[in-house]
Amino acid sequence: MISRFTRRTFLKSTAVTAVSAGLPRFAAAQGNTIRIGFLAPLTGPVAAWGKPGLDGCMIWAERINAAGGIKLADGSYQVEFVSYDNEYDPAKARTGATKLIREDGASFIMMLGGDTWPGVQPVADRTGMLFSTLLPSDLSPDTTTLIAPAEVHPIYNVTGVEWLAENRPELQTAVICAQDDALGLPSIATYLAAFEAAGIEMQDDPLLFDPATTDFAPVVTRLISKSPDIVCLDTCYSDYVHPICEQLFQQGYKGQIISCTADFYDQIIAKTSREFMEGFVFQFPDFDDPALNADHINFVDPNGFYAEYNKRHPGQWGAVSWEYASIMDLWKAAAEKAGSADPDAVAAAMKEGGKGEHAFGTADWWGTELFGIDNALVGDWPVVAIEDGKATIKEFRSIPAWYAKHGDLLIKHMTAYDQMWNQRG
Amino acid sequence: MPRILFFALGLIGLVALPHALSFSQQEILVFLVINVLLVASYRLLTLTGEWSLGHVVIMGVGAYASALFSKNLGIYVPFAMLLGGMTSALLAVLLSFPLFRMKGFYFLIGSFAAGEIIRLLWKRFRDPFGGAKGIKGIEPMPDFSIGVYEFDFFEPISYYYMSGAVVVFCLWILWRIERSPVGLTFHAVHWQDKLAEASGVNLRAYRTLAFSIASGFAGLSGALLAHYVGTINPNSFDVEVMVFVLTWAIVGGTATFYGPILGCVVLTILNEIVLRELGFEQMRPLIYGAIMILSILFMPKGLESIVQRLTRRTPVAAPREKVAE
Repeated sequence: MISRFTRRTFLKSTAVTAVSAGLPRFAAAQGNTIRIGFLAPLTGPVAAWGKPGLDGCMIWAERINAAGGIKLADGSYQVEFVSYDNEYDPAKARTGATKLIREDGASFIMMLGGDTWPGVQPVADRTGMLFSTLLPSDLSPDTTTLIAPAEVHPIYNVTGVEWLAENRPELQTAVICAQDDALGLPSIATYLAAFEAAGIEMQDDPLLFDPATTDFAPVVTRLISKSPDIVCLDTCYSDYVHPICEQLFQQGYKGQIISCTADFYDQIIAKTSREFMEGFVFQFPDFDDPALNADHINFVDPNGFYAEYNKRHPGQWGAVSWEYASIMDLWKAAAEKAGSADPDAVAAAMKEGGKGEHAFGTADWWGTELFGIDNALVGDWPVVAIEDGKATIKEFRSIPAWYAKHGDLLIKHMTAYDQMWNQRG
Repeated sequence: MPRILFFALGLIGLVALPHALSFSQQEILVFLVINVLLVASYRLLTLTGEWSLGHVVIMGVGAYASALFSKNLGIYVPFAMLLGGMTSALLAVLLSFPLFRMKGFYFLIGSFAAGEIIRLLWKRFRDPFGGAKGIKGIEPMPDFSIGVYEFDFFEPISYYYMSGAVVVFCLWILWRIERSPVGLTFHAVHWQDKLAEASGVNLRAYRTLAFSIASGFAGLSGALLAHYVGTINPNSFDVEVMVFVLTWAIVGGTATFYGPILGCVVLTILNEIVLRELGFEQMRPLIYGAIMILSILFMPKGLESIVQRLTRRTPVAAPREKVAE
């Protein structure tokens, strides 16, 4: 009757399963299939940062499987995604992690992160499973099996502000708003650091609104009351970006808008106007952009991927459509290098030499100062602007280069918002 | 005797249940047991005729209090849980002063406003509530051994046994309260308030009593949740979760003690197991909503009405025939 589930018993039990199945390697590689867990919100208000990612992964899996699968030391394996909708709830995320590891035999689990990671962390600690997050603010010295290999949210937002300051120096004042949650606050701190570094004056304290807000008219009225040159939408969910843009349009705002994301921007244009959205700066490109065919880009066939995605899910392309797939590129390369799908072996291969092949170029494993651990992959990031109704990459900018110059500002503002790793929780 | 046998079989079934489930279903079972206490406590409040939209926030008060007592003051987790429940009950007493100046729809809206104020306070004061990110790394229930069984509270089975025992005990107390003269007075406050008042019953005091008892048990359920998941944040106790509690109560029915529990069990199994297993994971909100509408249309008295129909004793015709003879 004595039951104690530890990392050791997990490995033992999976090994027993593997032996009983007549397989020489890790249990997760069942038959000729490797299972990858997808643990993200697929329904609810945060689904826009989960569901498009799963759709992208399905395309990625078909392409990889058609090309012969993942080649490990003992042969080739097909890849299969197993999803669990965590509804952005830590309790459901815990249940999902348990299912994906202990029932589905996943070799690697991708998450959105944020509020859901603390619910999963005890499961990760016990099992030693390798997890990925899109939100490196989940990282801390304790999260040794958690990596942030796709985006270093919200640090890359500094590139948009830096580009704006260089290309439109007449913009001198800014205001910022965000939902008051785990995504909004670190992003606020980052934008404040970026604006300060660029010499752009903040007209007011950041306007934090409750995530349950549905009427953005008063938010926008207050936001533009001092006629700012720039309105920054921080890392607002698309459910907020759309109505805020509508309100900015209706209330006659004519200045610059900058945002982390502009998911489904064609719908924003339809609700406002092409002229109003002209020059809108954000950070997530459409993958049909010719700039993504440059030699330093590691994402395989981005234009073909985008075309296939739009064929299957017209009008659904968003910030995360490619990100989980790009994590899989990195995972596949590491698994093939290690010759194994074992989480420890893959993690070691991934971080070997301190560099990794990020979607937008070779990048460094970084983060000790901000996150307490070097588990975030940081390199170049694109600055995107809407031109004639279409997202266009203006430039790739280096996040480490900005941090080398202004890192102290970022730490100052992160500390002010209690977002440093040693202040969280 | 048959009743004792029924309870004994039920107890054996509850002990054996997790062993028949998969790992993830065991996890769901833990949350289900906690939610059973939440919805049963909610029913106690509805006995006085008042429906609150702040019950889940009150659950959160217990969760936050217990987490802070154990994390910041080092109080032993089981005691912290009890203190969490007591904090919720105490807060309910304080809230009752403004809230019970209202009745019916106004109380409903007032309770929602009070709940939102509490949630905003959690967000506003990062110290000690952790702000929007909430509290992480909450002390787990300490493991212990009883010789034949080692309780490892990371494991859902162990936590199910512990929380199940707590919840069964709480349900027994709630049931006893409802059957007591106090419980009968709660009914009177709801259905015959003028008559009760004329008989010397202090309506406001009884409403406050029901509110604080219900809140105490809701707070305990929050504490059970916090020490299992290890993290809480203001969004864990928002109005969306409250809608689920209302749904369980409405679909199950509130005329009987078991009605809301039945609603909670059936809808949780449907939403978390059946629809996921059938591959409708992303369509769950749609299907769940449709089932709710259909159940309200075709089963206005709730799931409990089905049980009542099935267990109703048919009138025995024989004696009348004998008399006629």
